[in-house]
Formats: sequence, structure tokens, C-alpha cells
Amino acid sequence: MSPAEIKFYFDDQEVIGLTGQSVGAALLANGDRILRKTRFNEKARGVFCGIGVCFDCLVVIDGLANQRACITEIKAGMKVQTQAGADA
Amino acid sequence: MRSPDAIVIGAGVVGACSALALTNAGLKVLVIDRGPVASGTTGAGEGNILVSDKEPSPELTLALRSRDAWFEVNADIDGGFELEDKGGVVVSRSEKGIADLKKLAALQRAAGIDAQEVNGAELQKLEPFISKNVEFGVLYPQDAQCQPMLAAAQIMRAVRKRGGAFVQGENVISIDSINGAVIGLTTDKSKYSSPIVINATGTWAGEIAKLAGSDLPIMPRRGFILVTAPAGKIINHKVYDADYVANVASGDADLQSSAVVEGTASGTILIGASRERVGFKNDLDVSILRQLARQAISLFPVLENIQLLRAYRGFRPYAPDHLPVIGEDANVKGLWHAAGHEGAGIGLAPATAELITAQITGRKTFMDPTPFSPARFVGANHVAS
Amino acid sequence: MHNVVIVGGGPAGLSAALSAAAAGAPVLLLDSNPRLGGQYWRQPDESFGDQGSQHFDLETGLLLINAVKARKEIEVWSGAQIWSATHKDGVNTLRVLVNGKEKIINTGNLILCTGAYDRTLPFPGWDIPGVMTPGGVQSLIKGHGVLAGKKVVVAGSGPFLLPVAAGVVKAGGSVVELLEANKSRRWITSLFVVLENLSKIKEGFYYIKTISEAKVRARFGYAVVAAHAGVNGELDSVDVAKINRNFKIKKVRNVKCDVAAIGWGFTPDTTLAGTLGCKQIVAKDGAVVVSADSNQQSSVAGVFVAGEITGIGGSELSMAEGVIAGLSAAKFVGCKVEVLKAHRARRAKKQRFATALINSYPIKDGWKSWVHQETIICRCEEVKLKDLHYAIDELGATDSRTAKLLTRCGMGMCQGRICGRSVVDLVADQLNVSPTDTDRISAVNRPIITPISLGQLAAGE
Ligand SMILES: Cc1cc2nc3c(=O)[nH]c(=O)nc-3n(C[C@H](O)[C@H](O)[C@H](O)COP(=O)(O)OP(=O)(O)OC[C@H]3O[C@@H](n4cnc5c(N)ncnc54)[C@H](O)[C@@H]3O)c2cc1C
Ligand SMILES: Cc1cc2nc3c(=O)[nH]c(=O)nc-3n(C[C@H](O)[C@H](O)[C@H](O)COP(=O)(O)OP(=O)(O)OC[C@H]3O[C@@H](n4cnc5c(N)ncnc54)[C@H](O)[C@@H]3O)c2cc1C
Ligand code: FES
Repeated sequence: MSPAEIKFYFDDQEVIGLTGQSVGAALLANGDRILRKTRFNEKARGVFCGIGVCFDCLVVIDGLANQRACITEIKAGMKVQTQAGADA
Repeated sequence: MRSPDAIVIGAGVVGACSALALTNAGLKVLVIDRGPVASGTTGAGEGNILVSDKEPSPELTLALRSRDAWFEVNADIDGGFELEDKGGVVVSRSEKGIADLKKLAALQRAAGIDAQEVNGAELQKLEPFISKNVEFGVLYPQDAQCQPMLAAAQIMRAVRKRGGAFVQGENVISIDSINGAVIGLTTDKSKYSSPIVINATGTWAGEIAKLAGSDLPIMPRRGFILVTAPAGKIINHKVYDADYVANVASGDADLQSSAVVEGTASGTILIGASRERVGFKNDLDVSILRQLARQAISLFPVLENIQLLRAYRGFRPYAPDHLPVIGEDANVKGLWHAAGHEGAGIGLAPATAELITAQITGRKTFMDPTPFSPARFVGANHVAS
Repeated sequence: MHNVVIVGGGPAGLSAALSAAAAGAPVLLLDSNPRLGGQYWRQPDESFGDQGSQHFDLETGLLLINAVKARKEIEVWSGAQIWSATHKDGVNTLRVLVNGKEKIINTGNLILCTGAYDRTLPFPGWDIPGVMTPGGVQSLIKGHGVLAGKKVVVAGSGPFLLPVAAGVVKAGGSVVELLEANKSRRWITSLFVVLENLSKIKEGFYYIKTISEAKVRARFGYAVVAAHAGVNGELDSVDVAKINRNFKIKKVRNVKCDVAAIGWGFTPDTTLAGTLGCKQIVAKDGAVVVSADSNQQSSVAGVFVAGEITGIGGSELSMAEGVIAGLSAAKFVGCKVEVLKAHRARRAKKQRFATALINSYPIKDGWKSWVHQETIICRCEEVKLKDLHYAIDELGATDSRTAKLLTRCGMGMCQGRICGRSVVDLVADQLNVSPTDTDRISAVNRPIITPISLGQLAAGE
């Protein structure tokens, strides 16, 4: 058995991930390391702790801001966007 | 430091403002707090500087002056505490509530407050995310906001720069007097002499009065505040339901809450505040948090998807007649009280400081201070609730 | 009806569940991860197949996980995040989000095994995408089959750097540097501790073998002291410094890499225990841990604690503590069972090893000299060292809590989990004092355990 491919979107680009992977993991596998820009200095941030503790990997998922990419499992058709500041 | 002209007990917003006003009046001031700056109720307050929630009364006169005084303090010490003159919007969704709100606004206008009635369309323009079922409100451009901890800290910084002193971590355990007149005080670590002591200990002011052999009926009224994750600019003014005004004036011990919703400079949204009289009860009551969340969402449905990050509680200092106590003690000469501001201590702090400084230095006061006099409790049966 | 409720499905929680169930107590096991195993035995979706090569000892983990799944007295809720908990008159109320819906559990008998997360230290550039924690790099490999980047620098201090470097190698990456800040290998010298913990030594050699086969050489007395971004804003290189015994920089050179995995041991996550009122104490290394008696009971009767939250000690100590906690909790609810001498002996043995390890990897004060005025300390709120200094020097803050409240340092989305511990150290440093236990404990107190949407909050009872 091998994991099934799952198609989702990052900033409107199609990305393929595998069953059970988190958004953050699938994006890293795809070479996307910048997940958001901070709200004061507009600095790039990505996955840091990888286990849901640091809240640095925040993205907008299906319109909802502040979602942790590293612990949110990918779903087919999911629309993930880079989070700019506190974007709501 | 040579003996100070005056000692202020309490480095909350009231103590800090008092110290600044006294310093600016030329006195050498020492501030003493058992904790760090703003470690009492000030650190738990929301920072609303409101005229909108007050009926024409001596308190409103104080509030109106205080609102302007905040901007003067801001200019005097060069800011740094997120003072914003953002305005408040009070809304109501019931026929009776709207009628009451209109009546209140008319009275306030007569007292010199800018209170503008706004209908549904105008409201949506002021607050694009407000619930569509809110169709009437009053805009109060004079309502303002600050970050109370920073305010107290920045003011204390100015006091120190201007020659005042600040001693932290000393608990006042006795007020020393001879023949009914203050000569100084004693802390758990040392002794200080001064003919003037200002009791700015907020919720704990009754204890200080007791140390001096006097009496002050100040009690705690608990409140919770919710703080959300940073959320961008969703809410422009401080917005609250008219029921809040009714709660503020109420003496009922039961839990009351009516969400006051506002954005802050840092991007978080504050949702306050519940009011209940349960003594210094410390536990986190999740049912109160839920009630505040429901009320806030009913005003701003977008809040539904915004995350709660923190919740904290504080204890408002209140007197039985819900008015602050500002003036010299009825029994002890040289002991001055500036306390008991309940849910408005941040708003009322600089005018309180002006009032007490004018009285201490024998200058003309901007209003008649009698309604706030500690003497009003003498002989009164204030056991209350 | 559940007699014993356990939070955390790592080595401690799994062991506790099995021993409580075997003693006759029905168990409800809650864990926020989608799959059991905790940090050590983290695994991807089943469809990824055998993961043995990414683990030293997955067999034990699978044994425990499968045993837990097989026992019908144990009910498991995965993906269950406790966002709030309160204690009143002997009853612990847990408010749990399961698939976005809130469930409420009231119980008098609870075992907390909430584990730990990587300890990090701030340095210039630590917020650049590509700088990660070793645990983060490992969890991506173990839990998702993803290597965060090809050229990896692994640095910091502690034995955990070895499995991470080995994992990178096994996943096909190259470890361009493996840097241990401490020079000492003192623990090897305690022959007694080594002999009684041969399994751990074997584990160490297993990683070392993997690493040496890939021609990676560990360097001692080196640290990453700065990171630099390329034009795309992602990590391009790090400054590697030779440091002295006290971590002060001696000589720096630049190393190109895609990923820098930097960690300084672990920080126990005592938040849940704290909200329930369990007494927290400060361990020798400055970590806040939950205090436990010899039966793993916390200061709150009926609330037992096991694993990393009682002190960092690794998976085997976590298991030993978990077994005792499970037995004690079962006894607490009336099962006829006793903690045996052998259980305590095993825990003592693992504890000696853990203590020896912690003593061998001290985090020395010199790290603070890597931090500049412009360095971000609080990643969430973007608070810099100079902001903290302003709060202290100008606004008169005399403790870390006040400095935090005046600067928002530690008040962002992670609720101070990442920077809180360092802020206490940095503030004390500026004030020229030693951090107090009150400072340390106040930095890990958070009434809301994890953010919850206002809609979810409003919908609850
Ligand atoms: C939830 C909540 C929301 C609020 N929102 C607002 C708002 O939006 N707007 C508003 O205007 N007000 C608000 N308030 C009310 C406001 O916070 C208080 O009225 C105000 O902070 C009181 O300030 P203070 O300086 O009198 O007292 P405090 O800030 O409590 O200061 C008293 C100080 O005295 C010190 N002290 C006490 N005893 C001793 C002793 N024996 N020796 C030495 N030091 C001592 C304490 O350590 C403390 O620092 C709110 C209050 C709460 C609880
Ligand atoms: C990312 C990472 C990787 C690690 N890898 C290794 C390794 O390879 N080798 C090694 O020896 N050690 C490793 N460790 C150290 C590890 O902590 C211990 O060895 C061991 O996993 C500790 O077991 P535990 O049962 O105490 O906690 P954990 O294994 O950490 O388990 C705690 C569990 O509790 C859950 N939890 C916590 N809070 C809540 C809550 N509020 N609601 C619901 N669930 C909650 C967590 O999701 C987690 O699953 C790692 C640590 C981390 C952080
Ligand atoms: S990377 Fe830390 S929370 Fe996602």
C-alpha cells in the first residue's frame, strides 16, 4: 500500500500532497517555505516547531485565518493562502 | 532623597496620574507600591476613556474634564501609551432600549457631550462588520482609549525624570500620625515621613484607611475580559450595547455582562466586561467567557471565527454609591483618598489627579469636589451588600 | 463511564493507560494528535507502510499502541484538544475540542502526560523560514515523510541532536554540520549509570553508526549564532561559531544550508496541569515541571502526572512513570493493585540516567551575548531585545511579567511557549539578578490552553 495523492491549492496554484500529510509538510515537500508575512515588519515566516506549538506557520485555509499549517491535515480541494499580517 | 512633600501609595493609573500632577505642581513626590507598576486593577482594565456611559452628574463633569486631561497628559509626557481618540458607538436593538438611549443622549447633549444619533445605514458605514440587525445607535466622538498599563508606566517614567521617586515591592503596613495628623508611613521594609499621604490603592483603599484608624467602604466587583488573536482592522470604534449603561449603574450582585467590543493598536480585539460582586474570587468562570463571546458575536458576527487567546479578570474598586472617593479623610488630617473609581478609573484618573492636587495645594478646583468627599460616608450605614 | 481519564498518547500516556486498564480501571485516553504515539513514536498515515527505519525502537511503540487499541476497556479520542480545564472541589472539568465540537469531561481521576516541546534560544535570524527546531525537522520526517531541505545543519545541545541527524541522513538529506555546544562527554564516565542503562547506550550507538556511515562528524564546542536569508527571504546560510565553555563566541565562519535545526533540549508543557492547580516547581536546569510524589500524584488529589511534564528524562523514564501513574490512579478509583518495588526501581534507574544526561548538557549564560538589540525575541509579536530593555531601563519594569505586559513580549498566538523561558532569563540579565521561581512559573501560566474560536466558545454550555 502507498499513500494516495491529494490535490489542494496554495495561493491558487495546484499542489499535490499525500494522505495524512499536514498542509505545512505538503507545502515544504513542494518547495514552499514561506507561509506568511508578519503583521508589523512584513517578515517571511514558515514552519518552525512542526508540532503546533509556535504558531509561526499560520495560513488562511478556506477563508479562515490563523490556521496552523503544520497540524492541519490536507483535504482534496482545500484552498490555502499565504497569510498577510492578521488577515481575516 | 530628602523627605518627600507627599507620598502616593499605589502605582496604578490613579496613583501615577496623582504623582504627575503633584510633581508638576512643584511637590517632591514619592510613590510606593507593594508590587510593580500597574500590578493592581489597572493592569486588568480595558483602557476605555468614556463619557458615553454616564448620565449628567458630577461623575460626568469629572469624565468630561478627564477625557481632555488625558490628551494634555499625552502631550505633556510625549505619549507612548496608545492614546487614541477613536470614538464610541452605543447601540440598542429593542424599542425600549432605543427610546432610553435617545433620552440619555438628549440629556448628555444638554450637558455638553457630543452625542449623534445614527441610523442603520450610517452605522454600517461607521462599523462595516456590525450585525445587520442593529439599526440604531449613538456616536460619541469624545470616547477615547489607551493602554492603561503603558499609561501608568509612562507616567511614572515622567514622574521619575522630573525628580519624583518610585519604590516598588514595599507593602504599606501602617500610616503614622500624631494628634490626628499624618506624619508618614511605615512599610514592611522601611519608614518614610511626609505630612501628606495619598491613598491611591484602588480596591484596597479601605485597608489603608483602616491602617490610619479611619474607614472607607470600598469593595471589589469582579470583571472578566476576553482578548482575541490579532485580527486586522475589523472594529473601528468601541461598540457596546446600551444594556451596558444599565449594568454600570446597577447595584445588583448577580452576574451582569454586556459586551463592549473594541480593537486595539496591537491588533487584538478586547471584549469586556462582566460585572459581579463575588469578593476577590479568583477562579476562571468559563460560563462568563461564553456569555461575553455570545454577546460580542451578536454585535459582530465576524467575530465567530476569530480566536480567543487570553481571558483575564480584575477587581473594580467600588463604593456603595458608585462614585469615586476624592478628598481628605474625614478623620485624619493629611491623609487624602483618590480611589474607588469602579469601572472608570482609567478614564477618570487625570481629572481625579487634578482635583486632589488643587485641594492639597489650596488652588481653585475645576469643579465642586463635595460629591466625591470621603465625608459623605460618615455616619452612613454603608454595610450595603 | 470512565474511571480514569488520561491526557496524552505518548510513551507516558500509553503506558499509564495499559497499566490502569490491566488493574481493572476503564480508561479514556485523549490526545490532540491524529494518531497515537506522542512525539517519540510519531507516525504518518498507515498507507505510508513500515516506518521502522526512521526509528530506533518502533517495535515497543507499536506494541503499546496496538495493545491500547486492542483493549476494550480503553477508549481513545484522537484529535482531541483540551482548550480549557478547571478544578473545583475534587472535580476536574476538561473542555475538549473534538473535530471542532466541544465535549466536556468531569472527572476526579486524571493522569496528565502532556509531554514537552523543543527548547529554543533566540539569535539573530532565528525567525527566517528554514530555521527550525530539531523536533520540527524530525516530526516532518516521521509524521509526514517529508525532508524539510537537502542541506541541513543540526545544532544546539543535547542527545536529541543525534536521532535528528540520523533521521535526516536516513531520509536522504545531507547533514552539513552537526554541532554540539557543550564539550563535555562526562556522562560516559559514570560507568554505573551506563551499565544499568545499556538500552540507551545502544540507542546512542545506533544513531552514531548511521551518522558516521554518512561521513558526518559531530563537532563539540560549536553553535549556530546567526542565520541569514537569501534574496527570496528564505534561509541561505548560518554563522557557525566556536564557543568557549560559557558559550561566548570565539571565532565565526559562514556555512551555506537549506535548513538549520537548532534546539536546546526540551521544555515541559505544564499548561494543563497549571490550570488545574497542580503545584509547579523549577528544576535544576530552570525548566518548570509539575511536582509529583512517589506515586506520581500531583499536589491535587486524584490528578497524577507522568512523562516529560515531571522533568525531561526521555521515553524510557516516561514509560516507567506512566506505569506507576496508571497503577496509582487505578488504586485511587478502588482497584486492588499496588505499585511494586520493581516499578520504582526501574523509574529510579531511568531517572539516574536522565539526571546524568541533563548535567552533561547545561545551557550556559553566554548565549545571551549572541542576541543583539535588534534581535526578535518574541516571534509572534515581533518584540525585540531593545523593547525589553526599554521596559526595564525606562519604564521601570523590575520583573519579567511586567516587562512582558509592557512590551507584549510573549503575549502572541503561542502564548509565550516559545520565548517565555528566554524572556525570563533576558530580563533578569538586564536587571542583574537571578530569575526567581515566581518569574519562571508565572511565565508558563496561561488560562486558555490553546486558542479557540469565539464561535466555538459561544456554542459551548
Ligand atoms: C475587567 C475590567 C475592565 C475595566 N475596564 C475599564 C475601562 O475600560 N475604563 C476605565 O476607565 N476603567 C476600567 N476598569 C476599572 C479600572 O481598571 C480601575 O478603576 C482602575 O484601574 C483603578 O486604578 P487605581 O489606580 O485606583 O487602582 P489599582 O490599579 O488597583 O492600583 C492600586 C495599587 O495600590 C497598590 N497597593 C494596594 N495596597 C497597597 C499597600 N498596602 N501597600 C502598597 N501598595 C499597595 C497595589 O499594588 C496597586 O498597584 C476596568 C476594571 C476591570 C476589572
Ligand atoms: C518533536 C519532538 C520529537 C522528539 N523525538 C524524540 C526522539 O526521537 N527520541 C527521544 O528519545 N525523545 C524524543 N523527544 C522527547 C520526547 O518528549 C520524549 O522522549 C517522549 O516522547 C516523552 O513522552 P511523553 O509521554 O512524556 O510525552 P509526548 O510524547 O510528548 O506526548 C504528549 C502528548 O500529549 C498531547 N497533548 C499535550 N497537551 C494536550 C492537550 N492540551 N490536549 C490534548 N492532548 C495534549 C500531545 O499532543 C502529545 O501527543 C521528542 C520530543 C519532541 C517535542
Ligand atoms: S510550525 Fe509551529 S505551530 Fe506550526
